[in-house]
Amino acid sequence: MGRPGLNRRQLLAGASGLAVAGSLGFAAMGTGADALTSGADTRVRYWNLFSGGDGYNMISMLNDFRRGHPDIDVKDSTLQWGNPYYSKLAMTASGDRAPDLAVMHLGRIPGFAPGTLLDPWDVGLLAKYGVREEDFNQVLWKRATIDGKLYGLPLDIHVQLCFYRKDVLKKAGLLDGEGRMVPVTSTDEWFDVLKEAKKAAKKGVQTLGLNVQDLNIQWWMFVAFYTQLGGTWFSADRTEVTFDTDKATQVLEFLRKHVTDGYSAKGAKGAEQMVNGAPFTWEGNWSVPVFDTAKVPYGATPLPPVFGKEATHAESHAFVLPHQAERGGAANEGAHQLAAYIVKHARKWALGGHIPAYTPTLSSAAYRKMEPQSEYVSAMNHMATEPKAWFAGSTGLLGQRTGPIVMSASAGSASPEAAARRLKGALSQLLASKNPMDGRTAAQGGAVS
Amino acid sequence: MTTTTPQTVIAPAPARSATKAATVRRRKQGFQHGGWFVAPFLALFGLFVIWPVVRGLYLSFTDANISGEGASFIGLDNYREALQDDMLWDSLGHSAYFTLLVVPCITVMAFLLAMLAHHIERGKWLWRLCFFLPFLLPSTVAGNLWEWLFNPTAGMVNHVFGLDTAWLADKSYSMLAVVICTLWWTAGFSFLLYLAALQGIPAHLYEAAKLDGANAWHRMVHITLPMLRNITGLVIALQILASLQVFDQAVVMFDFGPGPEDSTRTFVQFTLEEGFTAYRVGYASATSIIFFVIIASVALARMWLLRNREEGAR
Repeated sequence: MGRPGLNRRQLLAGASGLAVAGSLGFAAMGTGADALTSGADTRVRYWNLFSGGDGYNMISMLNDFRRGHPDIDVKDSTLQWGNPYYSKLAMTASGDRAPDLAVMHLGRIPGFAPGTLLDPWDVGLLAKYGVREEDFNQVLWKRATIDGKLYGLPLDIHVQLCFYRKDVLKKAGLLDGEGRMVPVTSTDEWFDVLKEAKKAAKKGVQTLGLNVQDLNIQWWMFVAFYTQLGGTWFSADRTEVTFDTDKATQVLEFLRKHVTDGYSAKGAKGAEQMVNGAPFTWEGNWSVPVFDTAKVPYGATPLPPVFGKEATHAESHAFVLPHQAERGGAANEGAHQLAAYIVKHARKWALGGHIPAYTPTLSSAAYRKMEPQSEYVSAMNHMATEPKAWFAGSTGLLGQRTGPIVMSASAGSASPEAAARRLKGALSQLLASKNPMDGRTAAQGGAVS
Repeated sequence: MTTTTPQTVIAPAPARSATKAATVRRRKQGFQHGGWFVAPFLALFGLFVIWPVVRGLYLSFTDANISGEGASFIGLDNYREALQDDMLWDSLGHSAYFTLLVVPCITVMAFLLAMLAHHIERGKWLWRLCFFLPFLLPSTVAGNLWEWLFNPTAGMVNHVFGLDTAWLADKSYSMLAVVICTLWWTAGFSFLLYLAALQGIPAHLYEAAKLDGANAWHRMVHITLPMLRNITGLVIALQILASLQVFDQAVVMFDFGPGPEDSTRTFVQFTLEEGFTAYRVGYASATSIIFFVIIASVALARMWLLRNREEGAR
């Protein structure tokens, strides 16, 4: 792969620019001029999975980087998120055609064969570009570290939130003096709130926009509330399933009650309901740009601690270095430089609702002023995450197996008790199964630490 | 993948009068001229069909993962595991259930639509266009469209029929929803086959029957249906093979999930998940081979039945 040439559009832009601007020359030509004057010696190929508002913010950040670093040519590719992305990334790394830099969910790193498909970060090189361990949330940094090496550079935390419409809640008398949703600390209180909100909401919308049909959302909600109850997954040595079916039943009953009491419709989508007037929606923070664009008067808090303890499901985007047989040189350094830059300039990224992982950004006055981001930033202190195992992580094998089970209880086709037993069965099966990447089970240390 | 194209091979009738020597000579000449014409096809077919199948067969005896590294030969272990895998049998059941629902419905529907389009005089082209048009849509469009139509609160299906059904969240309706989408989407193809066959029935047969006093029902039972027998066999066979491979519209309608209580996870989806979510390429290869055997058996059984019937008719 040589240096990037001018493409047709740039050439046309250049030609018309010359014709119009005449003696003004290159300076008048916009993008065409950028490409010509960049003189980039280094090319960094970067894969990501961001679409929608996130995609827009990421491209804007990349453009900022390009303006400040004309010597580095960033070639970014956006791919369909979820499994299509991960299987492509695995194949490109095994075929030694890996990009120089990629994005990955933190929970997927243990299963992504660190050392085989992923290369560790050069922490010294990161420090050269101003990014150090002490600038990060320690929980995230630890999750990204396998066998003492850093495999993921955390970019953000993204969480499931309780979005609410201020106009409806005001009518229902559910806002406090500062215009924020009244605190809720038990399931009874929560259903009382729903009852009041339902009276104030217009007809034909869900009271709680909850996607009962989405296996990811259902699983993430389960993880959050199960963690609120203090539930655990596996023993420390990963030989035994410590999953508590009683607690699980309690959570599944709680989730189901939203449907049986008529607050959530099965089969309807979540976020769009709030745009149409639903008082509440439980959705990921990536809905922030959706509601901003729709000009909905809204706020967002972590999921209500209905079982006493605060816990909100969280995952993270992290930068990774897909395995290259001969990683090193200028492209590798460029990848470190680009990742460090994006992580440090994540305030723009926070527009998409994500909580920055880089603590100096997090504590900046500018971030503290962002609404509704500042209202839910506390979620990072009580992250409910999937267990650190090779089969876990966003859209991974664990969620794929468990999501439909949670869904069956919520939608009412299976009893909560039966679903809880089946969840335990699925967990036992996964714990005993071998990681196809290294042939070891979780107990044998298969890609966990 | 319910849109496979017809694959009937029209075998030339053996030239009984020709001598054996002439046949051999002609074959040789045929190869000399024809061989070069089919060579590009054979090369591509070998590269993209034969070789992957051979490679897949080999992988099915290994524990290969998606990275392709460190695979070792494990004999029949994958096949042994597959036979005991509940999820495999469930997904095969879902594909079979789908096939059982779709094949009779689509055959009857395509026939009725073809009769309608054949006999209606006014705006003939409009009917044909309406019935065939959905078939041209990509599966993602068809799937997403019906996902909207089946939305319980905002969807048109519940609104029009005054229902309160959670089509896509209730396992009793989930597969039915995929079937309905598929009927609307793909019936146009079989409709076209039927329409062509209807137009091929000589008009003098009907005229003669009318002269003999046969009413519309008799003409249908004694002329139309028997004359359409071959095309019906073709439609059914193509639909069975295509329906067994159902995948994309179901996956789109359920947001890449397996549907409520895994009720719409088809065999193709199961294989895809094993290979690309669980990264077990060796195991997924074994399940693909199993599926290949099943599909091939269905196709062979159909050929065998057809031959017996033809011989019986002679």
